[in-house]
Amino acid sequence: MTRTIFVCCGTGCIANGSLAVADALRAALDETATAYGQGKAAATAGQAERREAAATAGIQVEALVKQTGCNGFCENGPIVKIMPDDISYYKVKPQDAAEIIDSLDKAPVERLLYKDRDGRSLRSQKENPFYAQQMKIVLRNIGEIDPAEIDDYLARGGYAALKKALAMQPAEIIAEVEKSGLRGRGGAGFPTGSKWRIAASYDDFPKYVVMNGDEGDPGAFMDRSILEGDPHCVLEGLAICALAVGAEQGFFYIRDEYGLALHQVQKAIADAGKAGILGNAIMGSEKKLHLEVVRGGGAFVCGESTALMASIEGRPGEPRAKYIRSVQRGLWDKPTVLNNVETLANIPFLILEGGAKFAEKGTANSKGTKVFALVGKVKRTGLIEVPMGVSLRHLIFDIGGGLLSDRPFKAVQTGGPSGGCIPAELLDLPVDFDTLTEKGAMMGSGGMIVMDDRDCMVEMARYYVNFLCGESCGKCTPCREGLRQLRNILTDITEGRGEPEDLQLMEEICDTMRDASLCALGKSAPNPVMTTLRYFREEYESHIRDKTCPAGHCPKLTAFRIDTDKCTGCGRCAGACPGGAISGAIKSPYRIDGSKCLACGVCRDLCRFEAAIAEKAGYEA
Amino acid sequence: MIIHIDGKACVCEKGEYLLHVAAQNGIFIPRFCHHPGLPGQACCRVCLVEVETEAGGERQVVSSCVYPVEREMQVYTNSDKIKKQRRMVLSLLSARAPDSGRTAALLKSAGGSLPERFTRLAGEKCILCGLCAKACESVGTAAISVAGRGTDKKISTPFALPPDACIGCASCAAVCPTEVIAYVEDGGTRTIWGRSFQLKYCETCGDMLGTEEEVAHAANKAGGEPARLCPACRKKTIAGALGKPFARG
Repeated sequence: MTRTIFVCCGTGCIANGSLAVADALRAALDETATAYGQGKAAATAGQAERREAAATAGIQVEALVKQTGCNGFCENGPIVKIMPDDISYYKVKPQDAAEIIDSLDKAPVERLLYKDRDGRSLRSQKENPFYAQQMKIVLRNIGEIDPAEIDDYLARGGYAALKKALAMQPAEIIAEVEKSGLRGRGGAGFPTGSKWRIAASYDDFPKYVVMNGDEGDPGAFMDRSILEGDPHCVLEGLAICALAVGAEQGFFYIRDEYGLALHQVQKAIADAGKAGILGNAIMGSEKKLHLEVVRGGGAFVCGESTALMASIEGRPGEPRAKYIRSVQRGLWDKPTVLNNVETLANIPFLILEGGAKFAEKGTANSKGTKVFALVGKVKRTGLIEVPMGVSLRHLIFDIGGGLLSDRPFKAVQTGGPSGGCIPAELLDLPVDFDTLTEKGAMMGSGGMIVMDDRDCMVEMARYYVNFLCGESCGKCTPCREGLRQLRNILTDITEGRGEPEDLQLMEEICDTMRDASLCALGKSAPNPVMTTLRYFREEYESHIRDKTCPAGHCPKLTAFRIDTDKCTGCGRCAGACPGGAISGAIKSPYRIDGSKCLACGVCRDLCRFEAAIAEKAGYEA
Repeated sequence: MIIHIDGKACVCEKGEYLLHVAAQNGIFIPRFCHHPGLPGQACCRVCLVEVETEAGGERQVVSSCVYPVEREMQVYTNSDKIKKQRRMVLSLLSARAPDSGRTAALLKSAGGSLPERFTRLAGEKCILCGLCAKACESVGTAAISVAGRGTDKKISTPFALPPDACIGCASCAAVCPTEVIAYVEDGGTRTIWGRSFQLKYCETCGDMLGTEEEVAHAANKAGGEPARLCPACRKKTIAGALGKPFARG
């Protein structure tokens, strides 16, 4: 039987050594082939060449090794999947390669399978609760194809939507997108069809289409994974957009830190050009489209539409007032459509299956699916795609498997620096564009950071404000100066210098930032502060009034001690303490030297017996 | 078309900016980063107003220096909301530039005071309005620019060195609303941004024409020889030359 061995080579798995795993698997296959007297022909570098060489030599190739994009379950990488047997292995090391190849016709390698909560081994991804509850539209090809091979994409129906769109009138394409109810996945949720219709309505040429791949929210990696794992899908989406609005030039704006994504997109553009899909005659038609990659300069604010366009034009990445919208006057003052990576990745499916079918999924005002990067203190972190409208509880507890060490859930931070913190009492909220905005947070582009009772909400707000102090463009007063004052006040609060009037003053600053800032970054920058003030006010009050951090997180307000009744003397904390503050002898209780303790909390995180306890600084037992 | 600003009917053209319409009609909107000779920047956020495009509809806070009038509307330059936001913006600016008398004065006239809790940047006068960089760009030299981003943003020359592109025209200093850009004129030279420039004077009356580089730059842009006379003396010379044939006759 001809099998394909898929090795996940997304950035996460590569960091875990998946390239070495792929090499080891190829070498093991080669050895097996030699042993069977089939010669080395079957193990040359490219898979296409390998197939060909094998065919001419009359050799039955037993297996191929393919490098795919991100499978989503990054923390369990490198992931190796064998098809058509549908066996998935996790945390594979190069030294496992021989065993995997050897097992191809036998029983799977038990120790590399995923174990569920009851210790049962799961063979297929379909049985794995992380995957089983997802619905994949945007991610449908990722993990199933080699993103560097255009043939792989074509074999899965790639570019059929572009072909269909070429036979449609631009107005028909737009009508289909409008019917689907698709809204922009970058965060703001503007209806994509309306954006295209407005851009198409201007008789002002040339027009431009631009993909926004400047994903910058801490903890978010949806767009990166899509670009790395299925670049042709995004390219096809952008090409259809260009047909709809009448553009002949398009740009992929990708942040420079995304090296693999940049590489894959550049290769995809070159391959599509060679295949006659792009260029002066799109798929042999009279339509033209030229695409180009623009590397971002590393500024978070360049994800904002007008700053992004300034950056493409070669000017400093600063937003402008948007009283005249980019769809009318964008790049070089010409009509420009800017869509997020994930928005464009939805387009091929939407055109092929029809807008009505797309609209069957999701909620009344938020259609389709959404990709989330689920991270933080959750058991199963990774990239997931679910229909719009599922609850936060479903995302975190069913798919994510609940919190690490089953600690109490405290909050989930959605939408990055523009988003907010959602407390436990709102866990049953459906996740869509409008519900989270109503609660002061924002679905944003899809980052979700889960926090437990040991995470401090004041520190969380300070972290995001500090992040934005460095990443705001600094052009307008409320954002730049408001953030500066907020950071100073929040730092004071976390270090025990908070004053009772601070909360009201912060609210006033936030109010002005929201109303008076120039762009969406400034208007949404106070969200982390405002939502924590709304849902976790008592935590601020403890910091200010009692000078304590209830989560035991803020180092200036916290001291650690070891409960001698609970300590088993395992020594785990002492080995990890960065300050060398913990001493003791194995099997007898350890103690912490307060003068050396940095209050970092590593001992508490590591202790399996709840013996390391956080207390108010200055407290003496 | 007619729009109403604080209840006053104001005639204006479509596409005209609100701040301009207000000024034409004698309504003063405070601002820092606006200069009539340069495009609006919308960055100081002091010129905020509320607009209501549908009677009884939602009011939108906009910066009047770049908001183009597209339809009839009611504009409020002094609503409670605007007053409150303006006070906060001016407080933030005063904390940033505590040494600038103008921010403090404007804050006082807006009825606000700088909260004690705000961190002040000691010795700072610049409010980062960016007018200087805009002016320099418009002159065609772009010797200074905004540099960096976020709270560390500043006005700087390339690599913080005396800029080669500078012609010493001091347009940056002329447009600065907080008078933070310093230059010294002494013994026929002007020193600005760490560079000294030779000054040129009118050959007839001795009035200053500007720096040598500035006069050359202007001639280069306009085409022709660098000026040797001030505008007034040039007019006199031309008038004199024109009058000669008649005087002789």
